[in-house]
Amino acid sequence: MLSHSRCLTRNFGRSISAIRQGNNVLARRATAALSASHPTTFNSNVKYDPRSNVFQIQYFRTSSAYRDEVVTVKTPAFAESVTEGDVRWEKAVGDTVSEDEVVCEIETDKTSVQVPSPAAGVIEELLVPDGGKVEGGTPLFKLRKGAGAPKAAEAPKADAPAAAAPPPPSAAPPNPPPPPSAVGPIPTAMPPVPPVPAHAMDSKPVSAIKPTAAPSAPAAHADGGVKAARTESRVKMNRMRLRIAQRLKEAQNTCAMLTTFNEVDMSNISEMRKTYKDAFLKKHNIKLGFMSAFVKAAAYALADQPAVNAVIDDTTKEIVYREYVDISVAVATPKGLVVPVIRNVEGMNFTDIEKAINLLGEKARKNELAVEDMDGGTFTISNGGVFGSMFGTPIINPPQSAILGMHGIFDRPVAIGGKVEIRPMMYVALTYDHRLIDGREAVTFLRRIKSVVEDPRVLLLDM
Amino acid sequence: MMTSQLRRTFSFLRAGTGPPLQAWTASRCLFLDSGSSSSDVGLVLQSQSTDVHQNLALEDWIDAHVDLQQRHILLLWRNRPAVVIGRHQNPWSECNLPAMRRAGIPLARRRSGGGTVFHDLGNLNLTFFASKKGYDRRRNLKVVTEALRRLGLDARATDRLDILLNGHYKISGTASRLSRKSSYHHCTLLHSADRSALSAVLRPSCPGVQSNATASVPSPVTNLVEHAPWLRWEQLLDAVLQQYNAEFGLSSASVLVNPADESEFPGLGSMAAELRSWDWTFGKTPKFSVETLLELRDEQLSARCSAQLHMEVRSGLVERCRLGVPAEWLPLGLSRQLSEVLLGERFCPHRAAAAVTALLLSESGPLNGRLQNLSEALLAAMG
Repeated sequence: MLSHSRCLTRNFGRSISAIRQGNNVLARRATAALSASHPTTFNSNVKYDPRSNVFQIQYFRTSSAYRDEVVTVKTPAFAESVTEGDVRWEKAVGDTVSEDEVVCEIETDKTSVQVPSPAAGVIEELLVPDGGKVEGGTPLFKLRKGAGAPKAAEAPKADAPAAAAPPPPSAAPPNPPPPPSAVGPIPTAMPPVPPVPAHAMDSKPVSAIKPTAAPSAPAAHADGGVKAARTESRVKMNRMRLRIAQRLKEAQNTCAMLTTFNEVDMSNISEMRKTYKDAFLKKHNIKLGFMSAFVKAAAYALADQPAVNAVIDDTTKEIVYREYVDISVAVATPKGLVVPVIRNVEGMNFTDIEKAINLLGEKARKNELAVEDMDGGTFTISNGGVFGSMFGTPIINPPQSAILGMHGIFDRPVAIGGKVEIRPMMYVALTYDHRLIDGREAVTFLRRIKSVVEDPRVLLLDM
Repeated sequence: MMTSQLRRTFSFLRAGTGPPLQAWTASRCLFLDSGSSSSDVGLVLQSQSTDVHQNLALEDWIDAHVDLQQRHILLLWRNRPAVVIGRHQNPWSECNLPAMRRAGIPLARRRSGGGTVFHDLGNLNLTFFASKKGYDRRRNLKVVTEALRRLGLDARATDRLDILLNGHYKISGTASRLSRKSSYHHCTLLHSADRSALSAVLRPSCPGVQSNATASVPSPVTNLVEHAPWLRWEQLLDAVLQQYNAEFGLSSASVLVNPADESEFPGLGSMAAELRSWDWTFGKTPKFSVETLLELRDEQLSARCSAQLHMEVRSGLVERCRLGVPAEWLPLGLSRQLSEVLLGERFCPHRAAAAVTALLLSESGPLNGRLQNLSEALLAAMG
């Protein structure tokens, strides 16, 4: 009989788990009852041998302690002769709670009363809707007692059979199975651990029964060996991200995008900044940065190369040339990337640009950016340098035709007048739509930006 | 301050309900028995902070970490201008969020129930800590009303536990919280608050909010100084302190505490951070819906139309959004896309603006103007 049951161990894994779930009633009754009420636990491939089940039942008769109990928790009596209150749920059906953890709060007469869980377990049913009225003694919720199933990290430890035998619908939903130590490969004695939540039983593999048969071995290894969590979690993409993703892909599919690079010697502009920054701060109350130089340089170059400031209207097959220059500046905020627009940059000087950038930064920080602050724009400047980027290809922000990417300023050895000198250098990148802008125009545009930043006097002389 | 009396090494007494703390070896021992012979000991604390979140966290800290079974504590505090809503309230229907943003007035959600109040430096907050057995709000309010009566003011507590001056004006509102073993009851007291600011912010942010959240009951308010101009802040505090001692048979002077001091109050900083988070302040709003009409206009054609907006918000996130825009104003597909782009986003005009812009940028064309106008109306309806 023993050997006979051993051979069939693999098949009994599931039926045994099902039997355990039936709380130690005799095999036949239990399995009959189980097959009636928990049809999903039975794997259709299981071969069922009653003789061996009886043997297993004797084996499990010692485990009478592991019964699940459902308790109904009532509303506590209210203080100071208050009669009724509103219930606000903190936990939902299926949540695991530990003893004394707050399940709901009841608001009575300006008092918020916490209702803790009397024991560890799983919330089975909420008997009052959120916001519903209760009086002292009204039944509030049903709790299925049991060792609170541990964290989701344990979930992957149940291997293949778990997938084959999903938890029965009546037990609490997606709670992970207990740690392997609870039902590990223990040869003859019942594991001396706290009761195991009912639903998890069926997900326990063969290793729970006998370690002898081959299938149990890999399961045992998997159980014992895996300590690190290998969970995946799925988070639904929110609409904004979906939308942005869609837009970027559309841009990539319509534009013939390519990138041209150049490098900028930042010595002169750094020196100008160093000389004037204190006086600038005193007079204008804001800091003088590098963005203003690049924004102004871009505006200047855009006025010179109108194709870069234009855009192709795919629906009407027209090129739209714009007389104004609105530059979108990509700003990283804690909440994500926002791209506010500085309008009519062609008429601004460095100071006006710094003020505008500062104002937009403040608004972004205070969450006051309005739709019109972020709408439109004819050209974008993105600064990857703040994160330390050395070199990279920015992606065009539709519906525009080009984007300038600034990168980090690093000291590099460069050749000046036949000699090697160390200069602060920045790589700049211009990604453009080749359908509209030719290579020559793009390169000239970028070189113009380079010349302005390297020597701002170019602006004064209109060179 | 009682520092000379209390400067000795000690072990502090904890209620045991909070998380385990390392030994509290600050140089001041606040919660050690002061050697009083009465069975109940008491303490009066005054917070040096005027930050609403820090002070609320201080209340939570005391509630969680101090053994209140045998002691009573009175905490006196005041905040820089802020709006404080009750645990189960809806901020969009209780206060004017855009006005508060413009004025730089923060919003805080406390852990006790009750309605919405406006705090500023002219408003005194009193928190009475006791064990669950010792929880007696009327006795606490008697401390305040008796103190005011001794100062010559006619103050009475109502059934709703408000305190009325001259039988008509509300000068104090109450709220409380019952935890597993302890309790606290706090109330406001209007000494010299800015009443115009109060009425400006305590009105709904956006129309059409329908929810079963706890609603505030508005009442006409007044300041103590308007009826007793000679009453200084320190006098008021002193009177309350004396009365508290008298009522509870104590003899404590008030002790200044600084909630920002992590060595005195370990863990308070993270409690305050939790109270500041969006998830607590806005995310804990009970489920509600917004049902309103948006007025749309097209400046170029001088045309107008109305659109229906129906939104359902759960945990502060937009769960459902339906825009009923007439098909001739804007193609149904576009208005549907606009409502879809908001799903799952926070019910917050900033987040919505970012999401909406992404849509607007991809829809350039003659309808862009109308779409933009619709977006703006939608954002305005979100407070």
